[in-house]
Amino acid sequence: MHVRQLSGAPAAKVVTALPLRVRGLRVRAGGRELLRGIDVDFPAGQVTAVVGPTGCGKTTLLRALNRLHDDSTGLQVSGSVELAGADIYRDLGLREVRRRIGMLFQRPNPFPQSIQENVVIGARVHGLTGRSGARELAEARLREVGLWDAVKDRLGGNPYRLSGGQQQLLCLARALAVQPDVLLLDEPTSSLDPWATAQIEQLIRDLRERVTVVIVSHNLSQVARVADQVLFMVAGERVEVADVQAFFRHPSDPRTRRYVAGEAMTLPAMEERN
Amino acid sequence: MRRTAADLGFWAACWLALALVVGPAAWIVIGLVRKTWPVLSVDLLLKTTAQGGLQNALFGTLVLAAGVLILAAPIGIGAGVYMAEFASQRQASLFRFVSEVLAGIPSIVVGYAGYELLAIALGWGYSLLGGILALTALVVPYVVKSTEAALQQVPTSLREGAAALGLPRWLMLWKVLLPPALPGVLTGLVVALAISTGETAPLLYTANFSDANPPVQLLHHPVGYLTYVVYDYVQLPSARAHQLANAAATFTLFLLLLLIVLSRLLAARARRRTEQMGL
Ligand SMILES: Nc1ncnc2c1ncn2[C@@H]1O[C@H](COP(=O)(O)OP(=O)(O)O)[C@@H](O)[C@H]1O
Ligand SMILES: [Mg+2]
Repeated sequence: MHVRQLSGAPAAKVVTALPLRVRGLRVRAGGRELLRGIDVDFPAGQVTAVVGPTGCGKTTLLRALNRLHDDSTGLQVSGSVELAGADIYRDLGLREVRRRIGMLFQRPNPFPQSIQENVVIGARVHGLTGRSGARELAEARLREVGLWDAVKDRLGGNPYRLSGGQQQLLCLARALAVQPDVLLLDEPTSSLDPWATAQIEQLIRDLRERVTVVIVSHNLSQVARVADQVLFMVAGERVEVADVQAFFRHPSDPRTRRYVAGEAMTLPAMEERN
Repeated sequence: MRRTAADLGFWAACWLALALVVGPAAWIVIGLVRKTWPVLSVDLLLKTTAQGGLQNALFGTLVLAAGVLILAAPIGIGAGVYMAEFASQRQASLFRFVSEVLAGIPSIVVGYAGYELLAIALGWGYSLLGGILALTALVVPYVVKSTEAALQQVPTSLREGAAALGLPRWLMLWKVLLPPALPGVLTGLVVALAISTGETAPLLYTANFSDANPPVQLLHHPVGYLTYVVYDYVQLPSARAHQLANAAATFTLFLLLLLIVLSRLLAARARRRTEQMGL
């Protein structure tokens, strides 16, 4: 039987995202080491999930990846974080780092400005859009995160009237509007409803070619759904970095095995992914 | 049984304490209003104290308050913003110390220092500007403190969101921190105005008093104001002077009441805003 190929072989996806390379990353608070020399590669165009018990340093790691610790006194960061070869602590300016490496927090934090202003404020300050392009930019990013229909009639309105999930999507639109190379997500769906959670997970998968994603998650079924690779941490140390399949099927470290088994009580079978 | 007795004692003590606070306040207000009521007439507003009214004093009080607002707002808010957002730990604590010392200086001393410096050394004589500066020195610490506190109460998550997006500090301040802090800042400003409206001491040596309407000049002319009438006219031996003193006290009280209500409204608005953000 003759099989016609309608669209030829699936076109190789063009990856425009950039890799992030972390070496010997340490964060100290007074005498305490919150991160004890982390080595990890976040490959371009992949989603890396960071998992580990509460307090193991996941948030601390993420915040070190866009220099958010620079603003908190009493924390010392050492080691190197390279975005496509450029050290974000030595070679790049702070504002460039913040533009190119975006962050979404656990709790949505829209600014006390209109919905449209929330989306475009970063793009405008980084010179990515003028005043005239603001509306189109807002529409494009809001469409991308699936919020457009809900807010198109109240772009000038108060973002705090939106539901928690909608607020988080707005924050995602805000982060995407500055065209980041890397997106850091710190348990972005832990306080959200299932619709917003599904929406964000879908976006993470769709964004992969453009943006290198690092996501902290406590939800192993979410990790299974969105991640390509997993970084497992305990007490400020890297335990293992593995392909997502390997992480769940045959983890090399006994601590990983225990963690997966412990958390996996509720974990459904790995789903087929696109 | 014993429990009920203890409860009763506790509530009685509470009521007594409340009565001790509210009682004298109510007594003052009622007494004033009762004494003022019969002499209340448009003449109070249309005539100067020279002619047996309060027009000049009321004008003077309002002009002084406007002057304080114009000076204390930018200075106090600017310093508060600087302390909360830009100063190093050491700078901030030094600044705070200076501000607290300033706040602790008795108002009569502020007035006397103003006299030595402005009226004598600079040769301004008794003047509107001298009075405004003395009052401003007195209330700026409050504005600084309330501005600083209002900014510190803005949720950290908003700061971090702005930082993570690479917004420069001034833009973060303007678009992210100031909107939620604004009602708190304004409340501080209104409280500062209320304090300055009730003061007499800083003005005695700087603005002194005039029974004519306030001058258009900032310098070399004394200015009248309500609290002076209260302070001075009760000592005069005429019934009309006593009536004027009472009326001036009532006007002052009324202005203070307005300002306090305004500050309450602003504070409530501030609370609503932060709750709404749910951060
Ligand atoms: N600014 C800080 N100063 C001191 N210790 C901190 C600071 N931030 C976090 N920690 C500590 O670092 C450890 C790791 O925290 P965190 O990175 O938030 O963990 P996770 O996100 O994995 O739950 C915790 O023990 C926490 O108490
Ligand atoms: Mg965390």
